[in-house]
Amino acid sequence: MAISGYWSTPAEARPETSYATLHALVPLVFAACAGVAWAISESRWPARLMVAFVVLWIPQSIYAVIGGVGWLWPVVRGLDLGWAVVTGIIVLIYPRGVLRERFDRWVVGIAAVASAVNLLAVLLLAAPGDGVCACSAPNPYRVAALPELFAAIDVGYRIIGVGLALAIAVRLLFRWMRGSVPARTVAFLMPLALLAWATTLTAQAVSYAAEARSDQMLATISLIAIASIPVSFVAGVSHARNMRARVADLMRITREGADRGLWAESLARTLRDASVRVYWWDEERGVYADASGTPIPKGDADPRGSQSVLPVASPLGVPIALIRHDRVLTDNMRLLDGVSSALRLSVDNGRLRSEIERTLAHVRESRQRIVEAGDAARRRIERDLHDGAQQQLVSLAMRLRRTSDQARDRGMPAIADEVDAEILLLNAALKELRELAQGLHPSLLAQGGLSLALPELAGRCSVPTEVRVDVAGRLPELVEATAYFVVAEALANVDKHAGATRVWIDASSDGRELRLTVRDNGAGGARLDAGTGIVGVLDRVEAVGGTLELVSESGHGTTITVRLPLVDGVDGAPPTLG
Amino acid sequence: MGDSTTPLRVVIADDAMLLREGIQKVLEDAGIEVVASVGTADELLGVLDETPVDAAVLDIRMPPGHSDEGVVALERIRAGGSTIGVLLLSMYATPEYALRVMGAGSGTGYLLKERVAQPQTLVRAVETVASGGSVVDPEVVEQLVGRSRVDDPISRLTERERSVLELMAQGYSNGGIAQSLFLGLKTVETHVRSILQKLGLEESRDHHRRVLAVLALLGER
Repeated sequence: MAISGYWSTPAEARPETSYATLHALVPLVFAACAGVAWAISESRWPARLMVAFVVLWIPQSIYAVIGGVGWLWPVVRGLDLGWAVVTGIIVLIYPRGVLRERFDRWVVGIAAVASAVNLLAVLLLAAPGDGVCACSAPNPYRVAALPELFAAIDVGYRIIGVGLALAIAVRLLFRWMRGSVPARTVAFLMPLALLAWATTLTAQAVSYAAEARSDQMLATISLIAIASIPVSFVAGVSHARNMRARVADLMRITREGADRGLWAESLARTLRDASVRVYWWDEERGVYADASGTPIPKGDADPRGSQSVLPVASPLGVPIALIRHDRVLTDNMRLLDGVSSALRLSVDNGRLRSEIERTLAHVRESRQRIVEAGDAARRRIERDLHDGAQQQLVSLAMRLRRTSDQARDRGMPAIADEVDAEILLLNAALKELRELAQGLHPSLLAQGGLSLALPELAGRCSVPTEVRVDVAGRLPELVEATAYFVVAEALANVDKHAGATRVWIDASSDGRELRLTVRDNGAGGARLDAGTGIVGVLDRVEAVGGTLELVSESGHGTTITVRLPLVDGVDGAPPTLG
Repeated sequence: MGDSTTPLRVVIADDAMLLREGIQKVLEDAGIEVVASVGTADELLGVLDETPVDAAVLDIRMPPGHSDEGVVALERIRAGGSTIGVLLLSMYATPEYALRVMGAGSGTGYLLKERVAQPQTLVRAVETVASGGSVVDPEVVEQLVGRSRVDDPISRLTERERSVLELMAQGYSNGGIAQSLFLGLKTVETHVRSILQKLGLEESRDHHRRVLAVLALLGER
């Protein structure tokens, strides 16, 4: 259409070919940027406005074609500056696609009202030949011939337009100057373009008002400036998208629970803002402080400064941190949302991890206490049996023996024989009681440790058992008892299932852990299944922080390896946040 | 063996009063003089410092630790150069423990506590240790002999030899063995020689060394 407009314009009124080409390129640039904006912007409005610009750009070039159509040219003439209004709005909604502040809404409101007034004035007052339109057909909507009023409105509209454009440009420039380095690197195109355009617009408006022919040079600069607006819009938005991609990186880096120093560093890198500071909530002092403990400076909370703060709290409202960042970053709320989510997630992860670790430690301790309490109870019962029932039964047997002897001396052999039989029963009972007490808590273990107790245990096994105990001195009671029960259970299994002809027991300690292996040359194929005694032993081993490994390939015997720590395990909890 | 005119002088140490009194009665019935009866190993050592005795009968497990105070006392007695007989009583028959006790030297015995209900056994044990002999509880020997071994040398013994071996391990002299098994002394000596040869043990004039060697062999596997 622009081409047909060009060709239908009288040759002497035609602009230079290069200018015309440029003029036709502007809507193409907008159309292309509309496509990109549609794809990458959060809001559909920038793309819509860019398309609207393309449509509204056309009237300027087709007056020559429609000048003879009376019903059409006044409408087109009334809208022929619409592209400028749309351009202004595009600039105002940068970068998020919405009007954020009252100033912006006022500007748009004024532009809309002025445009409406202008359209009405053109429809009702314009005559062919007024202004830019070299139109020939009469205006069918015209109600009055008031050329002075029409000229005043026409020029006033342009002046208001230029004023608004300048105001927007200045505002944008201000925003840009107050912004930080990261935001400026890309967004500088926009205010520059707008300023260039507003300046040329002013010049054109002045020359229009003076009815002078506009300068070709100025017009060319103006076109370039206009075309650069959608380009800088799209570039700015895609820059913001890159930032979001970096938030994903931030999440990845900090997911594993980064320390506080690394957090501030990663954040600065993500936001491309070296001025970023993270202040962590200090529950004890009730203040936000940085990683080194310095509280947040008072001025940083000032909403008017160049810096802005973003509070991050847990879902329950417990404060976590404040992120002090460049104010310009608030333009990109999604980015900041992402950052604070990453932070929250990281802190939550750290908190959960340390909570789990704490709980685990508790569980471990209580497991150990249960085992200890069980051992203590067994020991106590054994001791009670030893010092009480067993001694009493022995002395009872002794007295019965005296009774029997006396009965025999006094010629009562029948009674003596009966008492002797009772003594035999008593001895059987004693033996059973002894075995019970031994099983409860092997007194030999308490007295002589593993180096005495393990060989004794091995001696009771039906399979020849070689024992090697390389343990200097005594080990913690709990470890000795656990090792003893492991061997007892392993040997019981050998007796029952293994079909072995040989067993090797090896216990050695290096001062830090006791390493115990029980190996047989039996059938193998043993498993750590529920129901076998080894599972109970495993529980015990784990309760004292040890490990149990069972290797039992079918046909290759069975080896049980147990490691029991002799010192309290160092709590290797990684550094955590919060 | 005690001379019938000068009775053996014995001290008893056991924290269980009932048993202490019982043991005292049994010994006194057999004509043994009980010079002191105490409840701890320390008191026993105090008595031994002041009163000359032929033997001490003591519980292994006594206050304050209720673990192996009796054995420690034995080792201190031997370390002090005393050769009095020491008979240790234990509630449990534990071969490893018996070996440790016997390792302290001759004139030592290890007996299950319930043997005190068999007066002759107790009295004979006291007399044996007092005269420098060794006593090992039959149940300990039974456990040792019953141990499973690779290439078991015991299996090469005849039934009779095995009985002789068990008595050897219990500390019986050849004469004692002959008496127990109703055999002639010469027969026993032949058996002993055969046993020692089959087990690869050297003959020894020292009776205690023979007991130790047999016990050690039985303790191996």
